[in-house]
Amino acid sequence: MSEGIGHNVPRVDARSKVTGEAIFTGDLKLSGLLHGKVLRSPYPHALIRRINTDRAASLPGVVSVLTSTDLEDIDPYYGHSIKDRPLLAIDRVRFVGEPLAAVAAEDEVTAEQALSLIEVEYEDLPAATTLEEALSDDAPRLHETDTLRPGLFHGLGELNPDGNICYQHSIHRGDLAEAFKQAEIIVEQEYTFPAVYQYAMEPHTVIAAWEGKSVTVWASCQHPYLVRAELAELFDLPVASVRIIVPFLGGGFGSKSYTKMEPITVALARKARRPVRIANRVDEAMVTTRRHNMRCWMRTGALADGTLIARHVRLWMDTGAYADNGPRVVATAADAAPGPYRWKSFQVEAYCVYTNRPPSGSYRAFGATHLQWIGESQVDEIARQAGVDPVDIRIQNLLRPGEEVRPGGKALDADLVGDVQKIADALDWGSPKPPDTGRGLGVGLLAAGARPVSTAIVRMEIDGHATVLVSSTEMGQGVRTVMSQLASQELALPIEHIRVPGGDTWITPYDRSTGASRSTTLAGMAVHRAAREVRQQLLEIASQAFEVALEAIELRDGAAWRGDQSLSYSELIQFHFGFTGGELIGRGEVSPGGNKGSYAEGPVFWEVCVGGAEVRLDRDTGRLHITKLVSVADVGQAVNPDLVKAQEMGASMQGLGNALFEEMIFDEGQILNGTLLDYHIPTTEDMPDQFISRLVENEDGPGPYGIKGAGEGALAGVPAAIVNALADIGVQVTELPLTPERVWQALREAEAEHDDGGSPS
Amino acid sequence: MLRPFEIHEPGTVEEASVLLARFGIDAAIYAGGTELLLIMKEGLAHFPHLVNIKTIPGLDEIALSAEGDELQIGPLATHWDLERSPTVRKHAPLLAEVESQVANTRVRAVGTIGGNLCFAEPHSDLATLLLAWGATLELSSSEAQRVLPAADFTLGLFETARQPNEILTRIRLPLLSENTAGAYRKFSTHERPMATVAALLEVKDGIIEDVRLAVGSVGPLPIRASEAEALLRGQSIEGATFASAAELAASASDPMDDLHGSADYKRQLVRVLTAQALMEASGRAAGETNEG
Ligand SMILES: Cc1cc2nc3c(=O)[nH]c(=O)nc-3n(C[C@H](O)[C@H](O)[C@H](O)COP(=O)(O)OP(=O)(O)OC[C@H]3O[C@@H](n4cnc5c(N)ncnc54)[C@H](O)[C@@H]3O)c2cc1C
Repeated sequence: MSEGIGHNVPRVDARSKVTGEAIFTGDLKLSGLLHGKVLRSPYPHALIRRINTDRAASLPGVVSVLTSTDLEDIDPYYGHSIKDRPLLAIDRVRFVGEPLAAVAAEDEVTAEQALSLIEVEYEDLPAATTLEEALSDDAPRLHETDTLRPGLFHGLGELNPDGNICYQHSIHRGDLAEAFKQAEIIVEQEYTFPAVYQYAMEPHTVIAAWEGKSVTVWASCQHPYLVRAELAELFDLPVASVRIIVPFLGGGFGSKSYTKMEPITVALARKARRPVRIANRVDEAMVTTRRHNMRCWMRTGALADGTLIARHVRLWMDTGAYADNGPRVVATAADAAPGPYRWKSFQVEAYCVYTNRPPSGSYRAFGATHLQWIGESQVDEIARQAGVDPVDIRIQNLLRPGEEVRPGGKALDADLVGDVQKIADALDWGSPKPPDTGRGLGVGLLAAGARPVSTAIVRMEIDGHATVLVSSTEMGQGVRTVMSQLASQELALPIEHIRVPGGDTWITPYDRSTGASRSTTLAGMAVHRAAREVRQQLLEIASQAFEVALEAIELRDGAAWRGDQSLSYSELIQFHFGFTGGELIGRGEVSPGGNKGSYAEGPVFWEVCVGGAEVRLDRDTGRLHITKLVSVADVGQAVNPDLVKAQEMGASMQGLGNALFEEMIFDEGQILNGTLLDYHIPTTEDMPDQFISRLVENEDGPGPYGIKGAGEGALAGVPAAIVNALADIGVQVTELPLTPERVWQALREAEAEHDDGGSPS
Repeated sequence: MLRPFEIHEPGTVEEASVLLARFGIDAAIYAGGTELLLIMKEGLAHFPHLVNIKTIPGLDEIALSAEGDELQIGPLATHWDLERSPTVRKHAPLLAEVESQVANTRVRAVGTIGGNLCFAEPHSDLATLLLAWGATLELSSSEAQRVLPAADFTLGLFETARQPNEILTRIRLPLLSENTAGAYRKFSTHERPMATVAALLEVKDGIIEDVRLAVGSVGPLPIRASEAEALLRGQSIEGATFASAAELAASASDPMDDLHGSADYKRQLVRVLTAQALMEASGRAAGETNEG
């Protein structure tokens, strides 16, 4: 069937999106809807001495003003990994942009005006606005870490908090000291990775309607079921009394994973007794969540022939004032740190650090993006010192399928050598290079899949059309199209007879989350199984109707066939119920099965992160021009190759932004480039001259048909490739992004060193 | 967020000027709105009254003067208009070339040359170009009209010589002489340029008769690199010391450290861009001489 898996079916939501019919949260109109605005702290760290809301509350058009005193009947702390965050600041603010009050008014202008009438008296506190400050001995403490409570979904074992460190994680194998003793080449360096903004075109938007003992929330969130659990706990409601509805999302990239603006909106609606809408602006979205900036020290040892034997890594990630997803980001970074090589020994010590900056959370390929460029630049440096080609050193040292990646975790489930060879091939590796041009590649792994818990329902209605109920969020990645194709494959039903509505926790069944490249693999498996159940029922009904054995029946094009006789699905369902109504229901689930599905035993699969780049350097200005960008999508089996390629391109462009120019610049905890005029995101003008994406389908994934997830890997692979391509021209950098100025400085330093070396002294 | 405002739609420059005088600091001229609405949305300024000058006929005209010696540009001409106008392309191709690289498509489509100059944002391509070019600006109010050289119009960061009730009504660009060639270079990492350089060379019989070199975007306002100009004046085009001139321009440019980059780096950019612009202008001059 031409619309099942492996085909470039046009996106099922394309038409509605380009015509503007598609509904996003911000488009919804509810009667009596109020507009909420949030008052945010101008201080990185301060005590709140007094809040006076009288003038704001008496402004005509203002319905409610919310402060933490309205939360005294609930336990107002949330946080899925660490319950460290009050819904609104209580007694003290910990970052510039922290919400401390909110207003609901008849219109946005009034709400905004009311904010300016709220009087707040602060008492400035010493702040730790950088990692260095937060880690120093006399650092101001952000939280009483000894009393930190684990969140509902931390799932990472012991937190081990200490001072401003809210979580630490380490992995190791072998005898490190012994391995380094054997090393003949040792590379050691410190690195810096910047804070980055995820930039989804649609900023966080939430509408909440409080209805007595239940609440309905329309939210631009990636993980409706996790948000539901946190809201239920915060407001002390049974989970079924919290209904989360997720319309289309205008991009997520991790910025809408877990709970963000939902608690404030619900609290405001609860007080106002009317539905309330809060829509972040871009500058507010930037202080809602971001990517962790990081400091990292890495040491790699090898034998003279380039055999990699030992690696030691220490890394500190700035999770901001509240943990958000920091602990998991740190654990994933630790997993990515060794790189996919056959080490005798490695050790990684990773720390999640509180600072007085906006909180950091998930962003596509977190952890792997942070670490891969560092590890891979050390591999290239070793190759240079050993006189081995960068491709050869990887083939020599890369893990092979089935080999252990880290103790206790899943063995390698991908052909990395094949992937690297494809990159090299696409880059014309070894062919002569034009002047000031360099080539580089990077390979790594990302622990993907999160927890393998997903369910789905497929309903086949009386007219033979099917509805797939699955809670994966469509955020531009094409999940509704992919789920349609998976159902189409099993049901032998044309795509236009399949409907995949958005998530709604009253209707679509449980799915852990939409992230970690998991949906096609895990939610897709649930859909596949649910569709299979319906398929089985259709076969059974047809076998009764035709009075033949099941095996004699073929399902094709929305009908059951026995030879040239056919009964449509609609006819089969009517036959079954003896009535012109009724429906078939199939259910599917994915659970960890035998093991506990814990992070330590994970991941569900290792997502391959490979990238290649060819860059040209303008020595006068330090500007890099990307002539070629290459990615390999190692996906097991592509459900829709065009969608995979679009994912590769998107991730590559974000990787390019991370590598070349994206950086949130802070001064004393205040963002200096907090608008899109000053914060440059990749645009069409930043596209490489050539973009090549190679598809690898080895059917080696845990999903149906050997599918495994994609869409993140290139974001980690591309910065590594660009950094290595630049080093290939002779410029080594230890700090991202590679702004022209930074590259120019590195060039000047390299030249100065060169001059020194040449002088007779 | 945009707070409510009242919009006024005058039919003449006089009416507009009267409105501006009446509302004083509560009013702003509204042309394309690409700058104005941004600062209003960001809450950096609030004007209860906007005076929309797009309702005044004729302010977007682009034409050659009666004498045929200068290009007269209405302030409402958009970047797109100027990039595409056959008159501009024919008589001032360098302006069309620069306009084609200003900002992004959306800003070019609605942003006007008048708005660009009057806002006096320091990273302006046009301010740099017009300074080198020796353009003059006509300012009109209900009471008077005056003409200012571009060099006297921009006074500093977001600051011009325009009085609150004055409207920029025309930009006058003298046509370049036959033996004058120009080139323009810029470098950007963000929406707006980090460094801009405009160079005009008048070459006669292989000798540089005149040079006009402007450097912008690195400091609060564009400047003429007069020492570099003086160095080149009288040199032969073949033996011209462009690298030394670029060095002089770099030291004269007096850049400031900001989010775009350090003063050091901007000086390097001025050095590189100046040398490139001079080389290209001299190449063009040579080409024209050969043709002529
Ligand atoms: C994203 C972005 C990128 C940009 N990039 C560049 C770039 O690369 N290079 C560059 O040179 N510029 C750049 N600009 C600036 C751009 O050229 C200006 O925004 C545009 O030309 C302004 O014109 P406008 O008609 O929209 O002005 P408006 O926003 O309408 O007005 C701007 C100001 O000028 C005043 N004003 C307007 N017209 C008149 C008049 N006739 N008389 C008196 N006062 C007047 C207004 O009161 C207001 O204060 C950029 C702008 C943006 C937003």
